Amino acid sequence: MKAFKYLIPESVEAAISFYQAHSETARYMAGGTDVIVKVKEGWMEPDYLISLKKIQEMAELHKNEATGELSIGALVTHATLEKSLMIRNDYPILYDAVSNIGSLQVRNMGTIGGNLINAVPSADGAIPLIALDGVALLHGPEGERSCKVIDLFIAPYQTILKPGEILKKITIPPQAPLTGSGYTKFGRRAAMELPLIGIGVLLTLDEESETCTKARICLGVAAPTPMRAQGAEAFLVGKKITEAVLIQAGNLAADESRVRDSIRGTAWHRREMIRVHVRRMGLRCLALIKEGR
Amino acid sequence: MNNINPDTNQEFCVIGKRIPKLDAAQKAMGRAEYIQDIRLPGMLYGKILYSKFAHARIVKIDISRAKALSGVHAVLIGEDVPDKMRMGFYKDNPPIKKGKVCSFRDEVAAVAATTPEIAKKALGLIEIEYEELPAIFDPEKAMEKDAPIIHEMHKSNVLNLPWHLDYGDVEKAEKASAFVVEERFTTQWVTHCCLGTSGAIALFDAKSNLTIHTNTQIPSLAQKDFLESLKAMGLKNKRVRVIKPIIGGGFGSKLDTYAYEHIAILLAHAVRKPVKILFDRAEEFKATSTRQPTVIYIKQGCDKTGKLTFRDMRMVLDNGAYTSWGATTPSVMMMPITSLYRVDNVRYDAKCVYTNNTYAQAMRGYGNPQATFAIESTLDMLAEKAGIDRVEIRRINKNHPGDTTPQGFKITSCGLSECIDAVQKQIPMDGPKEKGIGTGIASLIHVGGGARIYKSDGCGAILKMDDYGKVDIFTGGTDMGQGLDNITAQIVAEELGLFVEDINVVHSDTDVCPWDVGAHASRSTFVAGNAALGAAKKVKETLLAYGSKLLNVLPEDLVLRKRMIFSAKDPEKTMPIDKLLRKAHFSPQGKMLMADFFYDPDNENMGKDFKGNLSVTYAFGAHGVRVHVDEETGKVKVLDYVAAHDVGRAINPLLLEGQVYGGVVMGLGYALTEEVILKDGETMNANFRDYKLFTAKDAIRIKAPVVETYDEFGPFGAKGIGEPGCVPTAPAIANAVYDAVGVRITDLPITPEKVLAALKKKKG
Repeated sequence: MKAFKYLIPESVEAAISFYQAHSETARYMAGGTDVIVKVKEGWMEPDYLISLKKIQEMAELHKNEATGELSIGALVTHATLEKSLMIRNDYPILYDAVSNIGSLQVRNMGTIGGNLINAVPSADGAIPLIALDGVALLHGPEGERSCKVIDLFIAPYQTILKPGEILKKITIPPQAPLTGSGYTKFGRRAAMELPLIGIGVLLTLDEESETCTKARICLGVAAPTPMRAQGAEAFLVGKKITEAVLIQAGNLAADESRVRDSIRGTAWHRREMIRVHVRRMGLRCLALIKEGR
Repeated sequence: MNNINPDTNQEFCVIGKRIPKLDAAQKAMGRAEYIQDIRLPGMLYGKILYSKFAHARIVKIDISRAKALSGVHAVLIGEDVPDKMRMGFYKDNPPIKKGKVCSFRDEVAAVAATTPEIAKKALGLIEIEYEELPAIFDPEKAMEKDAPIIHEMHKSNVLNLPWHLDYGDVEKAEKASAFVVEERFTTQWVTHCCLGTSGAIALFDAKSNLTIHTNTQIPSLAQKDFLESLKAMGLKNKRVRVIKPIIGGGFGSKLDTYAYEHIAILLAHAVRKPVKILFDRAEEFKATSTRQPTVIYIKQGCDKTGKLTFRDMRMVLDNGAYTSWGATTPSVMMMPITSLYRVDNVRYDAKCVYTNNTYAQAMRGYGNPQATFAIESTLDMLAEKAGIDRVEIRRINKNHPGDTTPQGFKITSCGLSECIDAVQKQIPMDGPKEKGIGTGIASLIHVGGGARIYKSDGCGAILKMDDYGKVDIFTGGTDMGQGLDNITAQIVAEELGLFVEDINVVHSDTDVCPWDVGAHASRSTFVAGNAALGAAKKVKETLLAYGSKLLNVLPEDLVLRKRMIFSAKDPEKTMPIDKLLRKAHFSPQGKMLMADFFYDPDNENMGKDFKGNLSVTYAFGAHGVRVHVDEETGKVKVLDYVAAHDVGRAINPLLLEGQVYGGVVMGLGYALTEEVILKDGETMNANFRDYKLFTAKDAIRIKAPVVETYDEFGPFGAKGIGEPGCVPTAPAIANAVYDAVGVRITDLPITPEKVLAALKKKKG
């Protein structure tokens, strides 16, 4: 492993000025569960590692009760999200996703922001945040800007972040009443597993709890970057949600996906899993709405 | 559980007790010294460069830039290796290849440098020009006439090995059978996944004697291999000392010597300094050996009553590019083929075929899991065809004590029937069925009293006692994590009336420990245990003779128990054992107590027809499982698992259960998730992310009922249990999947894709 200097700024501004001082030779690090592995393997060879861990404002998890907006600091760990009753009750899709990432140890260290910025096609954290219409707040040498979470990703391991830019937090707009959501990671093992395919579904129903007013079907590992099956989503909106309708949505989503054969799994099976789990997650959404969650 | 010593009619003090592993605390606290922790003064670090092609000619190698790098002490290529330095029993594998490479795993150069980083950098400076050759990866295609020949010195890719047996009259029996089933099975590459990666440190003394610290399960045979290497290097009449550090897992992976060990020797000799080679995880996956993959063709038949009439099996084994013990696994496959259940007419043929893939080695069960997968899967198929209950067909055909099997195995004790009872009690196989839920059963036979695969199946032990009632025992047996130290200490402590903490087991150094053929074939408790017991008995005799004199009691009336010697008839006549030892030592013509014992079991090498009583006794078991199969995803979830084994006697039930749990989890990985994925000969998943070893979260609760049959030849009645836990796991799962959803998976591992594809095919 190449030696590096470890810098610990306590504010976003300080982190950015450290970066500007060392530019190309510096790298940001959040939980370190991806970066440290890359440094150890020699895939990344920074002279300076700028740890963001001591930046207090980036570690806050907060729901504004007045507006209903949820703010998740990029440094919030998977474990923090997993243990939050508010997340578990109000954002089940997020709970489903983060509570199955890696292992307990990985979830204690790994952060939601790091999960997004690492930008692997299999990032479990991205799917729920996209389904929840999350917005990413970026802060860089040229100031702040924001974008939809789905627009963060350009290609595997590539985001729109400019040199020196930091993902500060993700905000989730208020969720409509009568919304249900759920995520399934289909894998081979119970822990330390990447999804062979990740399926997140979010449904909002109208006041009569019948017609779908909003649908999100988000897929991981179905394309080079996390994707929405917008054809399937559009198909659901305005329909009374039944199992038969969900089966059709699953078929549409499977057709829209751009799954591939890899050593981890075959394209046809991944497509089948999309079919099955869009239906299963859709039914879970309905059940949650019925329970009043 | 009966815990009475049949010799003394008293309850055991140490045997049968759940004594935790003696080094458990040390390991938990990080104090155990593995090869990773050992640093010698002046030590250099060696690294190996591997081939970039599956099959290619080496046109040119330029090492000048690597040699010129500051900190590099030596760079070796194939031309630097003496011609006679070849590994494996088939002697087809030089530690560094010359002229051509036959797999991605081929070593093409090695470097010794002052740091691992410099050594790695130097590898990157070695320039090699290759000329790619047509490669072959399918063993059945490699047998075809126009297939590329991998080793030109042989005319064919098929190895010249004798794996063929034919007992009774299979063809006649087939004609007379009421029911016959036939199927093709395939099994994959899996690997041992030892948590401690491989490594060795070699150094020469001033007189060119070699000391090598290495992770090995075969200190004595490794010593022999290394002596041969020295001889090939022109170092005649030299000594080799093998020192084994604490091993982080063996499972058969350390049953042969590897290129990295011989390369460490070559480098150390070139630089006259200690050289350490340590594998990282990727290297461990790519450059150590796997379980032997197989293509299996099987036919089995029975008569109207369900009695087995014949078993006819043929296999093609992908040998990979070189030959290690994987090519000899048919010798052990023969055991379940001829002797699992009573079957008179048996035929078996196996061909080992060179390909440009990785090569296989020994791995827990040594071929038995592959053969048992085919046998036990088709037994269920046969039961269904004959309309006989699948548990019943196993009872009809079970082995009995006193049987001699077609291969000449003499079954002494046999608890198979009781094992099937135990499985049925925990997991009833009949009764109403829930959708997607199924049960499965499979049995096993394995060697349980040594296995005579070498000229000797022996193990030596030297025992000495000090003035304080403490024992040092130097054993040939190897503890590689399985707990042989405990077993040895418990046996000696019981025999000498001491406690385990009084016993120091030394097992790591060929300069002080006697010969042993190796920690394989589930033989250590039985063979090393009997060796330790033999030495303890000799010392005991002397102790009793002294005690008899001092206490004025007949030796046969004396008892050793809880650090005391006393008369069974008159307990007043007593003395602490340590005091007795001092009296023996500090008197005229004083004596220190010590003894040696070499135990070589009364088993037989197999003859040319493969007949012979390979083991003094055989271990039996039956596994049962209940699974849920998700019919929409194909995913199999294990709900319940019971693994019942006939172990003779449990010397230490805690360690015994540990062996069974570990074996079963290894077997579940084999059945469901594990596979080394080779794409055109190249390992695609050399990491734990993509090699799907079960995690702690996947491991299910396993019930491990113990059947005790008290084998007359075992130490205190014990038989081996090291391997059986992973033997019948895959067929038990495959049978349960069939029971659950009606599809028979014949290709391991049983992945969701395979199950779903089969379900779709069935539905049409």
